[in-house]
Amino acid sequence: MQVEINVNGKARKAEVEDRTLLVYFLRDTLQLTGTHVGCDTSSCGACTVHLDGVAVKSCTLLAAQADGCSVTTIEGMAKDGEMHPLQEGFRECHGLQCGYCTPGMIMTAADLLKRTPKPSETEIRFALEGNICRCTGYHNIVKAIQWAAENTAAPMLADSHLWTNDVVVEKVVETE
Amino acid sequence: MQLSGTHVLNAPVGKVWTMLMDPVTLARIVPAVSSLELIDDNQYKALAEIKMGPVSGSFSGNLSLLNIREKEGYSLHVKQASKIGNADALINIALKSLDDDQTELTFDGDARLSGLLARTGQRVISGVANTLTKQFFANFDEALSNEMNSVE
Amino acid sequence: MSNRYIGESIKRREDKRFITGKGRYTDDIVLPGMLHAHFVRSPYAHARVVGIDLEEAKAMPGVIAIYTGDDVAAINGVPCGWQVNFRNGETMREPKHPMLIPTGSTAKHVGDAVAVVIAETKDSAIDAAELVMVEWEELPAVAAPADAILPDAPKVHEQFPDNKAFDWTFGNPIEEVDAAMEKAAHITELEFINQRVVPNAMEPRAYIGSYDETSDKYTLYTSTQNPHLIRLLMCAFVLGIPEHKVRVVGPDVGGGFGSKIYHYTEEALVTWASKQIGQPVKWTSDRSEAFLTDAHGRDHATKAEMGFDADGNIVGLRIKTVANMGAYLSTFAPAVPTYLHGTLLQGLYTTPKINIDMTCVFTHTVAVDAYRGAGRPEATYLLERLMDLAALEMGRDPAELRFQNFIPPFDGVEQPGYQTQVALQYDSGNYEAVLKRGLEMLGYENFRAEQAEAAKTNKILGVGFSTYVEACGIAPSAVVGALGARAGLFESAQVRVQPTGKVSVFTGSHSHGQGHETTFVQVVADKLGIPMDDVDLVHGDSDTIAFGMGTYGSRSLAVGGSAIVKSIDKILEKGAKIAAHKLECAEGDLEYAEGKWTVKGTDKSIGFGDVALTAYVPHVYPAGLEPGLDFSSFYDPANFTYPFGCHIAVVEVDKETGKVTLKRMIAVDDVGNVINPMIVDGQIHGGLAQGIGQALFEGTIYDENGQLTNGSYMDYCMPRADDLPMFETDRQVTPCPHNPLGVKGAGEAGAIGSTPAVVNAVIDALWSAGHKPKDILMPLTSERVWEAMN
Repeated sequence: MQVEINVNGKARKAEVEDRTLLVYFLRDTLQLTGTHVGCDTSSCGACTVHLDGVAVKSCTLLAAQADGCSVTTIEGMAKDGEMHPLQEGFRECHGLQCGYCTPGMIMTAADLLKRTPKPSETEIRFALEGNICRCTGYHNIVKAIQWAAENTAAPMLADSHLWTNDVVVEKVVETE
Repeated sequence: MQLSGTHVLNAPVGKVWTMLMDPVTLARIVPAVSSLELIDDNQYKALAEIKMGPVSGSFSGNLSLLNIREKEGYSLHVKQASKIGNADALINIALKSLDDDQTELTFDGDARLSGLLARTGQRVISGVANTLTKQFFANFDEALSNEMNSVE
Repeated sequence: MSNRYIGESIKRREDKRFITGKGRYTDDIVLPGMLHAHFVRSPYAHARVVGIDLEEAKAMPGVIAIYTGDDVAAINGVPCGWQVNFRNGETMREPKHPMLIPTGSTAKHVGDAVAVVIAETKDSAIDAAELVMVEWEELPAVAAPADAILPDAPKVHEQFPDNKAFDWTFGNPIEEVDAAMEKAAHITELEFINQRVVPNAMEPRAYIGSYDETSDKYTLYTSTQNPHLIRLLMCAFVLGIPEHKVRVVGPDVGGGFGSKIYHYTEEALVTWASKQIGQPVKWTSDRSEAFLTDAHGRDHATKAEMGFDADGNIVGLRIKTVANMGAYLSTFAPAVPTYLHGTLLQGLYTTPKINIDMTCVFTHTVAVDAYRGAGRPEATYLLERLMDLAALEMGRDPAELRFQNFIPPFDGVEQPGYQTQVALQYDSGNYEAVLKRGLEMLGYENFRAEQAEAAKTNKILGVGFSTYVEACGIAPSAVVGALGARAGLFESAQVRVQPTGKVSVFTGSHSHGQGHETTFVQVVADKLGIPMDDVDLVHGDSDTIAFGMGTYGSRSLAVGGSAIVKSIDKILEKGAKIAAHKLECAEGDLEYAEGKWTVKGTDKSIGFGDVALTAYVPHVYPAGLEPGLDFSSFYDPANFTYPFGCHIAVVEVDKETGKVTLKRMIAVDDVGNVINPMIVDGQIHGGLAQGIGQALFEGTIYDENGQLTNGSYMDYCMPRADDLPMFETDRQVTPCPHNPLGVKGAGEAGAIGSTPAVVNAVIDALWSAGHKPKDILMPLTSERVWEAMN
């Protein structure tokens, strides 16, 4: 079947198998390999992307379900060569080691900061519940998100290039 | 995985026994089983369709009746294979006549699972087994009452 | 010498690619014409392959080839890299792990491969693999190490009916230990299981084999911790192809924690198949497969006894352990329960008599090998559980009991190293200092009062201590050779100064999260007095790096960093000759600082860049000196390094539910000199999380048929962000006296100290409320803790 998905601001049309998961559409079809696969049970969050502005696990969705939607991946976070505050925060606070979970962590955190611009430590930890990191013990990831929350004047729009930032919640596909 | 249960059926032991020995009835009352085909004495080829949370699949394999004791019970040996793993269960079924119209059916056994079924299904599978057991007895009850009604 | 970078928390250079999604892990690599492999694996822990029917699978669209055990019979099985013989001299039993189980043979663990399907897409490979019909004859299996040595246990390998790989004893003669224990006023006895855990690096293993016919050369991209070691094992022992015909690349690797040290069958198979087919072949493990095929860690069943005299001095330690090796001996497996475990049983204490009796057994489970800490967490768990329990039993304060028994401070320079009863000689240590600092951070003087108050409520409090010493920087080749290693454990480094004075550093260490691209460059830039921007690090490619033993055992900086320093010394020595010639003075009159050679007491100098250019444009040049400025070195360490530290856990236990909440985790570690404090702290944090994970969450569950029943992230519990507190870390610095950087290693420390601290804290909480369990089986789930109170 054919899908048309707006990925990081570009409309991308492609022929996919019915069973193709969104994550494989991004990785294999579009070669956007920043989105990772760490498990096969939608438990690890390494594949987290934004679908119409909301964080979803792209291994839980079919590419077909994202047809007509907007997707932001880690590759779409920096704008005009300028890093997203969360990207800066992760670097600044050593919020990553092997880097494998990092894109998913950043996408989940961006979703959190959009909803809760100044989250508490507890709110951050709960927001990260669906993302596993095996390297950092989460300590510096929490700090990185706090850093980003403190070091940005503008609201946390991870998806500023989307057609709209007013998220249409009804359109969002449930992930869990 | 341990399987066990007891249920009182509203029928004389002879009736229950006949039904338990009849493949057509069995195929109707055993949940998830879609076909049961006699291939040898007391040996059947069975097809089943099971959906249990994260693991669901089509099973095919054998079902054989061993250690048959007229109106007392038998052992049911079920060997099923599927893409998501294999199951091998030996279940002892015992009948006890309570009175002229009531028979107690007791079963207990052990199912060995392998593959994905064992790896990710384990948490939900005993719940599924309980559901299937309930269904089995409900189906049995229903089949019995249908029989009784048609006889009467 | 300038010191602008060493000791500074320089932000990591590697981060830019990872935070922008530009990291390049093996599965991200796409080669032209690349095919995909999928393995058909045993669903049984022990079963004979009666027959394999490929007909239906072969007819599937996209299928290029299907291989079974009979097709790959000519390929050797994967060998083991360490030999530990039986105590009676009998040779270690070493069944090789076949590529694929041939018809008639038996699969020996769930996940043992029987066939591989190679197809145009991953999906078509999976679809076809599902149609490979294997007829199995299921056989009885054994999964637990203690069950494997029972007389009627199912046999893993027919030829070894007792299921033993080897047995081993170490330390003082058992008679001496028995005699010491007989005189003990108190003996603390503990039987426990150090459970089996799964490393779970977030990037699943992935390999691409590629063969170029014109050059008769193979390339293997592999998610490994040690590309050269894989090349050596695969070429020399498995495939029998010349090493110079194989290039092994370890690109970005998403964590290892031990599990990516080893040479796995899939690596050799994709390499071999790429030549058979003439196209590149990729295999990427899925997570369920990883649970069944990645080497696991720990899995000891232990009985330990520690004897004390009437004053509380330790008089003896006696240990009997059965360790699970799994079905085959993985690359380093025999070393883990023996020379990385038995040799650490001195701990930080002056224990005069120590004996360990170890039996290493085969079971129908995937292999067990080194997992973060490898042997040292097991030793620390044993010692530190015994110390806290002894304190509870004897009514002593656990911190006091430690202070009383600590080895006094020694720096390894003025005071000699400490000779243990278990072969090792510690290089330097100051154990009292880390515990003192830990107690300060805890506020111990107030804690017991708080605990007494809490004991009256439903949320009781406990504190657990753990002080550890470990052996890192593995290792002196002659020593490990004498202990059975089949490889040297040196490291190589090449420092190439380019004509313009820019520097490329080639290291045999491999970074998979540790930040070598930053820390190693900090060292080089400082030693040469040049900006970090002028230095790049190259790692992970056997074609560009001369040789390497890789990264594990907290060895990269201590061994790999030392090799770099050796090359820098050679650069500076040769540079001084060139500088002296240009400045027309004697070499002895020069000093090197801030990136230039200066004639002492003058303002005459020549910069590093000018000397580099001169070396490559040698028009005015010392007679007889070779052009160029490029040196390789191999560094073989003089000793292990011995980091140490103190970890303290504070837990709250809900009396009604048994739920444990980790309130505080304090870690004071002494890892020697620190190059980048930010990165060292990060290493400690990660280690703590894994150690806490073992204490509270993680552990495999095998059923009686050898089925792993929690082989997915839905079922295997790992710590998540909301399970952990912010960590409280601090450091002491006791430099390593025997390597040029004075560094010891920080990668495993967190995982070594934290596990017993957490378990001790829970036991302490329960004792404070009048329950007196000696042990609770790890992981300490609510159910198990509740049972210990009810």
